Amino acid sequence: MKRTFLVLVAILAGVTLMIFAAKKIKPTAANNSVGALRGAPAPDFELKTLDGKTLKLSDLRGKAVLLNFWATWCAPCKIETPWIVELQNQYGAQGLQVVGVSMDDASDGEDVKKFASEMHMNYPILRGTEDVGNSYGGLEFLPTTYFVGRDGNVTGRVLGLKGREDMEENVKRALATKDSTQRAQK
Amino acid sequence: MGTFGRMTRWGVATLAALVVVGLGLAALVKVLGVQAGVQAQELSPGKTGGPSVSLVSAPLPSITRGQPGNVDLRFHIASGYHINSNQPAEEFMIPTALHMDATTDIVIGKINYPAGLDVAFEFAPEQKLSVYSGNFTVGVTVRPLHTVLPGKYAMRGSLKYQACDNRSCYPPKQLPVEFEVRVVKAPVAHRHRPPQSPHAHT
Repeated sequence: MKRTFLVLVAILAGVTLMIFAAKKIKPTAANNSVGALRGAPAPDFELKTLDGKTLKLSDLRGKAVLLNFWATWCAPCKIETPWIVELQNQYGAQGLQVVGVSMDDASDGEDVKKFASEMHMNYPILRGTEDVGNSYGGLEFLPTTYFVGRDGNVTGRVLGLKGREDMEENVKRALATKDSTQRAQK
Repeated sequence: MGTFGRMTRWGVATLAALVVVGLGLAALVKVLGVQAGVQAQELSPGKTGGPSVSLVSAPLPSITRGQPGNVDLRFHIASGYHINSNQPAEEFMIPTALHMDATTDIVIGKINYPAGLDVAFEFAPEQKLSVYSGNFTVGVTVRPLHTVLPGKYAMRGSLKYQACDNRSCYPPKQLPVEFEVRVVKAPVAHRHRPPQSPHAHT
């Protein structure tokens, strides 16, 4: 009788563990490779630019946005910055707006300005915050780049330094989206 | 035969229960492991751990009070990562630096860093960065004051570093560093006395 009870308890414990594991695995699969935010509205934020103005992401609705999280101390970020400058030049007329979000410490403002000037960054640079970083998955490392379609939804992301082609492909995909909210208003 | 049959049935039931528990535990371990490594693997397939730096050895040196002594702190950087040296090649790079807390009994002197390795990475093959990878040793000069009582003293500080891998960089971190020094008295000086003549006091 006692042995029956123990066997039943063991089976029950095993089944419970398997159910718990199965529940945990669902969101993980969704997070994997394509990015948790893909297809979802890009988390909105309002941040200060280097010259003290305010930029709200949702104000760029109707444009494709390349949202590049970077820092002055990040060597791979420095490598990809010229590509991003080129993309802004090349696709700006078609509706691309690059937005750089510096994740440097608040005290490093002068370094950020100097870096932006030396790298000829031709797009708004915002001073990032931990909250904004968290809303984009925590930004465990830099560079991390999100691509937002004209409808405000995330169309892709690039983690780390990959290549100019990867970025350009993502820019084209974001530009190909349509702003459904504007069409509905018309 | 009946008893044997019952025992076999119990054996099978117990085995089945153990298999179910084992499968449950394996599933749980796998899920937790996958969750921890998702972002790292997406970035660099095959890499599992984070970009950590750890203090692997700090000897307990005996240092004579009033005199300087050196403590070699050996650090280890997780495989697949590098950190900037104390003299990075680029302007905005964050140097690896050890900051020791001031103490009232022991003066912290010069901190000696090893030279970095000049390495070109996949992301910038034409540009060499000055980095540490694997193990590196930082030497700390300490000088206990003359007035310090002999004994063990704890020294505390932190190592600031900023790690990268071949395609990305991680935010700067501070590693708490703690080691001990044993302060000893200066050995009594033995004056050389010439052998005295047995007739000296006679």
